[in-house]
Amino acid sequence: MSTITLHDTHNHDDHAHGHHKETFLTKYVFSQDHKMIAKQFLITGIIMAVIAMGLSILFRLQLAWPDKSFPILETFLGRWAEGGRIRPDFYLALVTIHGTIMVFFVLTAGLSGTFSNLLIPLQIGARDMASPFLNMLSYWFFFTACVIMMSSFFIQTGPASAGWTVYPPLSALPKAIDGSGLGMTLWLVSMICFVASSLMGGINYVSTVLNMRTKGMDLWKMPLTIWAFFLTAILGILSFPVLVAGVVLLIFDRSFGTSFYLSDIVIGTQVLPNEGGSPILWQHLFWFLGHPEVYIVIMPALGISSEVISINARKPIFGYHAMIYSLIGITVLSFIVWGHHMFVTGMNPLLGGVFMITTLIIAVPSAVKTFNYLATLWRGNIRFTPAMLFAIGLVSFFISGGLTGIFLGNASLDINLHDTYFVVAHFHLVMGSAAIFGMLAGVYHWYPKMFGRMMNAKLGYLHFWVTFICAYLVFFPLHFLGLDGVPRRYYAFTEFEFMQKWVTVNIFVTWSAIIAALAQVAFLFNFFYSIFKGKKAPQNPWEANTLEWTTPVEHLHGNWPGEIPTVYRWPYDYSKPGADADFIPQTVPFSQTMSSNMPHDFEGNTEAERIQNDWNLKQQSLEKSKQD
Amino acid sequence: MVHTLKEEDVKLDSRPKKFIVWLFVVSSTIMFGGWTSYYIVFAASKGKGHGLVLPDVFMYSTGVLVASSICLFLASRALRNQELSKQKVFLWLTMLLGLTFGYLQLDAWSSLYHSGAVLVNNNAAISIIYIVSGFHLLHIFCGLCLIAATLFGAYRNISLGRLQFRMEISSIFWHFIDILWIYLYVFLLLNS
Repeated sequence: MSTITLHDTHNHDDHAHGHHKETFLTKYVFSQDHKMIAKQFLITGIIMAVIAMGLSILFRLQLAWPDKSFPILETFLGRWAEGGRIRPDFYLALVTIHGTIMVFFVLTAGLSGTFSNLLIPLQIGARDMASPFLNMLSYWFFFTACVIMMSSFFIQTGPASAGWTVYPPLSALPKAIDGSGLGMTLWLVSMICFVASSLMGGINYVSTVLNMRTKGMDLWKMPLTIWAFFLTAILGILSFPVLVAGVVLLIFDRSFGTSFYLSDIVIGTQVLPNEGGSPILWQHLFWFLGHPEVYIVIMPALGISSEVISINARKPIFGYHAMIYSLIGITVLSFIVWGHHMFVTGMNPLLGGVFMITTLIIAVPSAVKTFNYLATLWRGNIRFTPAMLFAIGLVSFFISGGLTGIFLGNASLDINLHDTYFVVAHFHLVMGSAAIFGMLAGVYHWYPKMFGRMMNAKLGYLHFWVTFICAYLVFFPLHFLGLDGVPRRYYAFTEFEFMQKWVTVNIFVTWSAIIAALAQVAFLFNFFYSIFKGKKAPQNPWEANTLEWTTPVEHLHGNWPGEIPTVYRWPYDYSKPGADADFIPQTVPFSQTMSSNMPHDFEGNTEAERIQNDWNLKQQSLEKSKQD
Repeated sequence: MVHTLKEEDVKLDSRPKKFIVWLFVVSSTIMFGGWTSYYIVFAASKGKGHGLVLPDVFMYSTGVLVASSICLFLASRALRNQELSKQKVFLWLTMLLGLTFGYLQLDAWSSLYHSGAVLVNNNAAISIIYIVSGFHLLHIFCGLCLIAATLFGAYRNISLGRLQFRMEISSIFWHFIDILWIYLYVFLLLNS
């Protein structure tokens, strides 16, 4: 016992020592505290989300009113909207940067970066990350990536415009379109910084989860959030390097004249010297990252909603092990499905068939997760907090967007649906809306942990209902455009006769998008106002079991004053029959909950079972004698 | 008592960090795996590889790199046996051999260049030789920085625990890039 105390004082001294030198710069800017880094990721992510949402409103205006002039646009955008109309090349830049920011900066860095950083040390019982310094570096690389990406709006030729997948040869030839000039170079540099940031973060998360869990926290006692972040980080480590490999070759093609992706190209009357390369190879390298990337986006959101749904349904999560195995299944399968993005590249139909089968198998773990959410909700004692609503919203989007994935996964259907609005509708529901709802659920749920204050629930409800309804109104109609064969990324619907009838639908969609965007003001106000003026949070506002709620509300570097708590049970003991309260934190030993222990709690420990049996018999005889 | 506790702490602290290096090794392997799979798919679809006889210098440089790895291993062993001066000698040797390796790689590039197999090439399989060996050289540079940090620590007389930690980090990394180069070289030899 004495050794433990000694050990701990030593640790504590170290931290106290750190506090002495803390300045504004080390506390708020170059912080190495995982909680502060999480907030930095979150706030940067929110800012980027607002920017990307603004971009989407701009191109939605163009889609709804292709012939109308909005003089105010020229005031703000100048040359990009001459005569109050968005220029075609700027429209392409808008969709490209909207996609890039949303996928990488908001739903990868903003989501994983925020919640992995905040929750991994807090929920597994660690003082900080494996390498706090690398963690800090990870944020600053991310920040640099954001700045570089945004800087491309301020250059003459404008931002990258080849779509977020930057397929060569369009992206590889600086002369192909304006956006493939300096803007594309900035995109690539920004992406390298971003991947560096992601890798530093991911490597840190994996190392922390595997090496720094507190006593008693074995892998099968970890909350599902941690499992999700852990597997997400593994996905990142295994897939992002391939993107780097591809990007490096693209940079060489662009800047040094190699022909990795280029062959037989004529610009105007000029025949380019590049020969022998193949643009399809970029697609292979890109989608080898790109497909795991969509799971990097959705898995943390799934983890967060598992936790939030279980806590607010006041029920243990249904099928804890099945949840984990399905996450593992998704992780493994995600590496062998990338070809389903390439069905129309002239792929061998046999190979296409293989990719089709692996893709459709993903429906199995996804369905397991969905049914487990529903089973957890079933007959729960549900508390409809804003976080809970957003988590349920995620389940809704995951179902409605996931179903269309089965359409698209079929090679024969995909040939018709490829590159149409059907795809846009599919992924905006299943990974866009679902993931952002998971992220918002996390923000509402862990806000008290981050800022020590509560967010306003009424504004949260307003935010949820408007966003939820409008998200469906925006994305659902797009399915029908896609089924009619309307291609994505087209600038003006009035230019093609068969698309003209969809302009009215576009007007409806754009109005819905504008209302959804306005609803975010409620969130932004709530978020920033509550940091300073929100109601003070109690230590465990949601009556949850996990370790983060055993830390003091006031943050300290090292998380727990004194010893790190020991973990005795899994994190989902809600409404356990026989227990006094409807939740039993992970730190409560079974010896203190004799009335609610179940035989399977002891995991085959016969001695503990015997003691429990003796206690049960004693209780029974006591009750009997009372009755007599 | 307090002393032993402190040492235990250092040990506890270094384990996750060492694990970080291993994870870096994994992700770096995958990056090179990306390039070599590019090569395989490219060669399969075009029915041709780089089609070169690789310059002999690559063979010598491989030998030098293996020798440097052996030196680094001897340096670690010297540190374990608390022979600090021997450790420094072997570290210097590793460093020297590493620099020689870098020089030989550049030499190999120049002989490739003079034989007409230039970077800007209509056979992407030739260009990728430059890419993989170039990015491998970047790793060598990082490895040399790690070894320099260990040497610096050895001269500054930092605590044994910390020196051992630096030594282990450099060893993991350096042996990794040694094996990585052998993989790349054999890959290029087999897939000409």
